[in-house]
Amino acid sequence: MNVNSFLALSRAFPRGKNRLVCHAWHLEKQALRVQQRRTIRTHSRSLAYAKDLFLGQINKAEVFPYPEIGSDELEEVKQFVAPVEKFFNEEVDSAKIDREAKIPAETLNGLKELGLFGIMIPEEYGGLGLSNTMYARLNEIIALDGSIAVTLAAHQAIGLKGILIAGNEAQKKKYLPKLASGEHIAAFCLTEPGSGSDAASIQTLATLSEDGKHYLINGSKFWISNGGFADIMTVFARTAVEVDGVKKDKITAFIVEKAFGGISSGKPEDKLGIRGSYTCEVSFDNVPVPVENVIGEVGGGFKVAMNILNSGRFSMGSSCAGMIKKLMELTSEYAVSRKQFNRSLSEFGMIQEKFALMAINAFVMESMAYLTAGMMDRPGVPDCSLEAAMVKVFSSEGGWICCSEALQVLGGLGYTKNYPFERYVRDCRILPIFEGTNEILRMYVALTGMQYAGKVLTGKIKEMKKGNIFMAVNMAGKKLRTSLGASVDLGLTGKDGVVHPSLESIVDEQLVLKRVADVLINLYAMTAVLSRASRSISIGLRNHDHEVLLANTFCNDAFFKNNYSMVQLQKHSPENNDASIKKIAQAVLENRSYICSHPLERTF
Amino acid sequence: MKCSRCLLQLVRSGRTVVQRGSLLLSPSSGQLIVQHNQQQQVLRQFRCSPVLAKSQPEPVRFVNDDGTKKTKSLVTKEDLFEQVAKESKTKATFNQVIDVFTKTDIRRRGHVEFIYAALKKMPEFGVERDLTVYNKLLDVFPKEVFVARNFIQRMFNHYPRQQECGVQVLEQMESYGIMPNIETKVLLVQIFGEKSHPIRKYQRIMYWFPKFKHVNPFPVPQPLPEDPVDLAILSLNRIANDLDAKTTVYQLPFTDITESGEEISFPHIVGIQSPNQMELLAKHNPNRPVFVEGPFPLWLKKTCVYYYILRADPTPPEEKEEEVYDPERCFYYPLQLDLDLDRDLGDEENFDVDDLDEGPVFAMCMTSQGDQATLNQWISGLQQNNPILGRIPTLFRLDAGTRELEGVADTEAGHSHRPPPQSQREDGLPAEDSEAAVEEEEPRRSRGMKQ
Repeated sequence: MNVNSFLALSRAFPRGKNRLVCHAWHLEKQALRVQQRRTIRTHSRSLAYAKDLFLGQINKAEVFPYPEIGSDELEEVKQFVAPVEKFFNEEVDSAKIDREAKIPAETLNGLKELGLFGIMIPEEYGGLGLSNTMYARLNEIIALDGSIAVTLAAHQAIGLKGILIAGNEAQKKKYLPKLASGEHIAAFCLTEPGSGSDAASIQTLATLSEDGKHYLINGSKFWISNGGFADIMTVFARTAVEVDGVKKDKITAFIVEKAFGGISSGKPEDKLGIRGSYTCEVSFDNVPVPVENVIGEVGGGFKVAMNILNSGRFSMGSSCAGMIKKLMELTSEYAVSRKQFNRSLSEFGMIQEKFALMAINAFVMESMAYLTAGMMDRPGVPDCSLEAAMVKVFSSEGGWICCSEALQVLGGLGYTKNYPFERYVRDCRILPIFEGTNEILRMYVALTGMQYAGKVLTGKIKEMKKGNIFMAVNMAGKKLRTSLGASVDLGLTGKDGVVHPSLESIVDEQLVLKRVADVLINLYAMTAVLSRASRSISIGLRNHDHEVLLANTFCNDAFFKNNYSMVQLQKHSPENNDASIKKIAQAVLENRSYICSHPLERTF
Repeated sequence: MKCSRCLLQLVRSGRTVVQRGSLLLSPSSGQLIVQHNQQQQVLRQFRCSPVLAKSQPEPVRFVNDDGTKKTKSLVTKEDLFEQVAKESKTKATFNQVIDVFTKTDIRRRGHVEFIYAALKKMPEFGVERDLTVYNKLLDVFPKEVFVARNFIQRMFNHYPRQQECGVQVLEQMESYGIMPNIETKVLLVQIFGEKSHPIRKYQRIMYWFPKFKHVNPFPVPQPLPEDPVDLAILSLNRIANDLDAKTTVYQLPFTDITESGEEISFPHIVGIQSPNQMELLAKHNPNRPVFVEGPFPLWLKKTCVYYYILRADPTPPEEKEEEVYDPERCFYYPLQLDLDLDRDLGDEENFDVDDLDEGPVFAMCMTSQGDQATLNQWISGLQQNNPILGRIPTLFRLDAGTRELEGVADTEAGHSHRPPPQSQREDGLPAEDSEAAVEEEEPRRSRGMKQ
């Protein structure tokens, strides 16, 4: 992977920014040109944008112009959104849900009537059949109540996703209609007491019965959202599979109905936030599952699980954005009306900074979420899991910061239960944790990208070694360019600007990976923001100058952050504190406590 | 060195001078004086003038006061201690001797010799780590006499013998790791003045001692626990250095009287094992034996204790199972990058590293009686948490490798039976308590080295 090109890339963005300010028309023209070029392309789309960033390439065709939906589609969305918004504003009492840790039945019924339990299920199975973009739009509103959002997400983003993407026609016909109407609620059972992301430690066992018609599932699953009342569950269990004559245990996904019997759920967990969602332990005791309820093929559960997990994440961007937008309304009201020293709070710089932060974050999240959703809606089977993970990481962290800043504006009032802010802060805390913790997703982003880039680059080296002169000349030219353009050697690239042999052990260099992931996430965020802002200018959306302002501010900020991360990646730079950080952590972990003497301690 | 010359003189004079009447003390009177001393310690006022002491003579107890004490002839100061030591060597008697010395002669004649003698005798009386005793000893010096009064005196070695003696006191404190306190400083200032050698020594000690106080990350507690079980727990934790490791007392020491009236004492057995070790043991190939080896010495300052280990030989390379990378292991990210990186000619990365594979150690124990029967009891205790031990042959290698014993294959069924007594005698090392071991440490250590 050529890290030098990251640097060049992140340099390129502010340059783009300046152009954006001065020559908006230029970009517009460029975007149009890109669009024209795109229509000519005939071969199917195979490359994703984020992966190519690792090679130092910006696939402008992928992200410019910003994806749009048709006018009639937009009308449709608006038609859907209006009643949902009305419902959430008038019928949903979030404080009560939080207090009683239960979503009332009438609220659930209202959600069912609105069709929110089957947003993405195709119309032929009784769902709304909406696209990813529209799903993201609806999530903006659903996210106003964390508990409902999580309940719905557990139902359709992961719970029934398995049937939707890997189930066969019979399974879809049998289960989806009832799930779409909300008559049945789905849950996703993967996590176990001893197994978070490690597939090898899954203990739940599925054994084929003697007549070969049923699987008997035994085991227990932890932290199952909707576990208490779900009727249909996607359960992952180990099954004995014969691969090349060798017996092996592999994961298989099953559709398990509660009606099969033998399923018991524990009492709901008492949680910090999203208290209305029903999270509990589910145990399976000899649950007979017919063979036809296997999702995909026997032993193919791993892929199913991965696809489900990867596909559900993009919507968090719009959810967070929706929440922040709501919080901004609430807090700005307070900031304008509250007076201190005969000046309103909104006149103070430090308060203003918080609002700017919220606006920028909401803008970036929105841009990223809808860009990703738009990419996913394109024909073909685009693999946008990398982008989705980036959106999730960025928005969950941004959401947490924004919520706590919003609370800070209100000071002590925000800390009380009289205002919804403390609830938002509590609800928000789950975002960096579930659907893959941010740490794990950063690993995913960095490693997947490196894997891709590494493959391409090693291929190039092979070509060169075979004596492909054209390739060699090409590389030499590139090297010349980078050596002229970049002033620092980032250590990750060896000679010829190719993958360093030490990359094999990079999997264990988590701090390095974290920075690489952060750089990439920022790059993707900048792309999304630029793409959206340039579209807004081009078509003259209302307040597009404000968008440009937000985009510029964010890009500037992210550019410096990226530069800093890049410098930190250098081995001997003073900014690189990794060795010390590891040492500190080791000392603490060895003793399992803080080991410094108390400041009042004496030696004589 | 001058001090050594002083000591020499002291010894010589000791030989020539006729022995004096003994200072015999009854225990009761000794006790009295202790209390008295303690009071004095608390209410100590630094005497500024010897006149004060003269005007208020304090009662000095001489049980066997035959009047000869008034003769001011030379006397070896060590004799004072020797005479007292006949009775008992304690802090109280030591203090008493000092008191006797200070009270007998107001001019403190021969105090340097006395202090040297006292320093030498301190370990005998067991007060070598007692700061108050050192302070009391320094108090023997007459005050203000040796303080330099002008810069010329300060420049040259003013009262060199006394200063050297003072330094010697501090040096002994240093070598026993006793940090002087503010009282010491006040005494030294009173005796030698601000810029004297003892004060310099004091300052150096006070500079370095605090710096090095916590330099040892694994400090040995002072004093060590008396109870052998506590000591064993302490030492095992010290070797294992693992917070997860669990110590188990398999048997507390007790004595039993058999029907024939014979008294049999059972040794203590204390073992330690961590969850990781249990996991390793569970994975051990039952066809390969495990070994009980020992005793190995462990030194805790001046105490030596012995421990035994349960270990196995390193797994031979053909049996090693390499963990294959399963791409379907992690739901979220690739655990390994699948890159086709082949090395170039210049990319040789063979470092010269001696990779010595050591066999795993599964558990450790300490017992006062290292014979096979006792250790068998330990193994059967271990078996409760490590059922696999019942299937693994256990070999006892309790001495040098030449005296290897036959495996005790039948390790199941609780190990209530003991192996035949003759083999027990043969292989069992003479088992002593840790205290007894101190005296015998030399031969035993050499035996330990053979392993």
